[in-house]
Amino acid sequence: MSKPAAALPVSGTVQQEPVQARARVKTRNKDFKQSDLAGYLFISPWLIGFLLFGLIPLLMSLWLAFTDYDILSPTTNFVGLDNFERMFFQDARYGRSVAATFRYVFASVPLRLAFALGVAILLNTKRRGVYWYRAAYYVPSIIGGSVAVAVMWRQIFGREGVVNAVAQMLGMDPVNWFGNPDTALWTLILLAVWQFGSPMLIFLAGLRQIPAEMYESASIDGATAWNKFLSITLPLLTPIIFFNLIMQTIGSFKVFTQAFIVTGGAPLDSTLFYSLYLYNRGFANFQMGYAAAMAWVMLLVIAVLTAVSFKLSSYWVFYETDVR
Amino acid sequence: MYSRKLRFISLLLVTMLFLALGSSALAQDAPLELQMTWWGSQNRHDRTIAVIEMYEAANPDIDIVYEFSNFTDYWPLVQTKAAGNQLPCIMQQDYQYLAEWANRGLLYPLDPFFTDGIIDISNVDQSILDSGSIDGQVYGLSLGTNSPSMILDVDAFEAAGIELPPLDWTYADFEAIATQLHDELGIWAISYGMDDVQMWRGVYISRGEWIFNDEGTALGYEDDQPFVDYLNMIRRLQESGAIASGEEQVEASANGHENSPIVTSGEAMRYQWSNQVVSIFSAAGEDRHFRLWPLPRTEGGASANYLKPSMFLSVPSQCENPEEAAAFLDFFTNSLEANEVLFAERGVPISTAVQDHLRPMLDTVGAETFAFIATVAEDASPNPPPEPQGWSDISANVYGPEFAEPIRYGLLTPEDGVVILREQADAILAQNE
Repeated sequence: MSKPAAALPVSGTVQQEPVQARARVKTRNKDFKQSDLAGYLFISPWLIGFLLFGLIPLLMSLWLAFTDYDILSPTTNFVGLDNFERMFFQDARYGRSVAATFRYVFASVPLRLAFALGVAILLNTKRRGVYWYRAAYYVPSIIGGSVAVAVMWRQIFGREGVVNAVAQMLGMDPVNWFGNPDTALWTLILLAVWQFGSPMLIFLAGLRQIPAEMYESASIDGATAWNKFLSITLPLLTPIIFFNLIMQTIGSFKVFTQAFIVTGGAPLDSTLFYSLYLYNRGFANFQMGYAAAMAWVMLLVIAVLTAVSFKLSSYWVFYETDVR
Repeated sequence: MYSRKLRFISLLLVTMLFLALGSSALAQDAPLELQMTWWGSQNRHDRTIAVIEMYEAANPDIDIVYEFSNFTDYWPLVQTKAAGNQLPCIMQQDYQYLAEWANRGLLYPLDPFFTDGIIDISNVDQSILDSGSIDGQVYGLSLGTNSPSMILDVDAFEAAGIELPPLDWTYADFEAIATQLHDELGIWAISYGMDDVQMWRGVYISRGEWIFNDEGTALGYEDDQPFVDYLNMIRRLQESGAIASGEEQVEASANGHENSPIVTSGEAMRYQWSNQVVSIFSAAGEDRHFRLWPLPRTEGGASANYLKPSMFLSVPSQCENPEEAAAFLDFFTNSLEANEVLFAERGVPISTAVQDHLRPMLDTVGAETFAFIATVAEDASPNPPPEPQGWSDISANVYGPEFAEPIRYGLLTPEDGVVILREQADAILAQNE
């Protein structure tokens, strides 16, 4: 195929040679183009979707971050770094929303992972009905991000809700869970911890990869369950823990629904998560340019945090392939 | 090969031509499509859809396609439509946004339709039309009149042995009554809204001022003291437990009007706009007795109440058939049959003929609302101008989070608060210069 056409054995006159060669080259190019086209056609549904709803909006939002775009005004002005300056130096709510988001991420992610791992270990036994339990424990995370669960959460922790009813039965004073800035965030963290299903499933898969012989030989050596967990389970599970950590951190930074429905950012902006504030600025206050700038800052922060996690991971994540 | 391609392209073109012809031919037979959007409760959706169907039945050449949502989701929806040049022909508008939309050229002025007689305004008061006008042109046709109100639970007042206050009650009267209600009944006097922006407006309207200057470039009053006094009263009431604290207010207002404490006798009064009381009255049930009262005012001041258009219908300038849209506006405003269905759900109707037609049919809430609007009208302060551009920023990002909330949570004194409020509001308004 890659041989030059002139080198091919050809019969006929000298004048014919270049003609044939040209024809061959042409055919080959055509073939190439057609198969190319077919390939593009096959991925076109995704490609069109990606261009229309992914890449183009992405690039536009990058441009909008430097403008005062407000949807309604006929003119959009380039404002340079004004949006970023306002974000970092003038907007007090921005600082509070960043603080609320970090507090939420750093509390909910470790708790959720610990909880997910704990449940995964419990469910990694060969007990009767364990499949049923696995499904049952996974359910909250399927419905967890939904509006219905958020509404339910509001009822549970409401003034007349279940939690306060129990508290009163135990002789305690009812607590304004959503009204108190110290507790409002924790109700949302608790909601996040409750949605441990998807990291749990991944942990379960990881646990089942650990060879049983290791535990057996450890038992023969007289290791306790706790020893086995510390010296076998945890080290062999670190790649899974790392994966879950990254995914859950990114997911937690983007948390929106829960705060939007349950607390609306109140009280005193203690649950004003980044995405919620971004949405409010863009869609409630018409400041789409500012919101776009906020979105890009969030992207950068998540990217940096992920990069740092990857860097740090070499100190604690153990891959079996490293040994081999 | 080229000829084959050519043949294919020409075939394609011909096919498309036929398709285009076909669809345009079809379009001539199909009814004219008008889009309509509004926000509201399920109750309003049902009533509005019924009226749309009524209109379509009477006008087979019109097909009204509608979309509705709650207030919060409505604005992102219509803004996105505006950006995509997809605005409906008939759009529910709000007083606080009317100026922003009209100034940006997004709405048709309705005056030509009044002159043409497409919209009959012979039964509508000029002041009501003025309420929807920006720079002398009407951009929104009011759908009803409302006013901020205090719902008073008459039974609770009786149980506490307190007479209903005079209609021109002052803030001092309010404090005395609230304290007494709480002391006698052990419930909140009121659980919600005493730090609402409406109270900010009310304090200054009652003094004959307005919170913004005419140009919308700064706050419109010099003296912060009246508002400081008001907020200190709220703090006293909050500390004594007579009204809900900041914390308690979040909880008490979390689950919608139907579940507000006044329904379960957890409070004796409630602040609410008069077109929003229906759900509370009906949730409380027939055997309760509620009255609507004007807001308290400053000592010797004017009324803190004014008659506000509850909402408008506007015709966006992106609409291709404004006359048809205007005809529907006329039907919505003047048709007796339509208003029997709408039944003043959007506020007391603006047409006096419609009002007279509905009055005999009113239930308790309706009668109370009509009577309240009539009472307010007797000494109402003039309707303040629409809020300037930047208002949504001020109310969402300054008034609540930087001012009212910290004060209610005891993190900020009213004296320091008003300084922050003025500083930050002025900074936003300065952009209008």
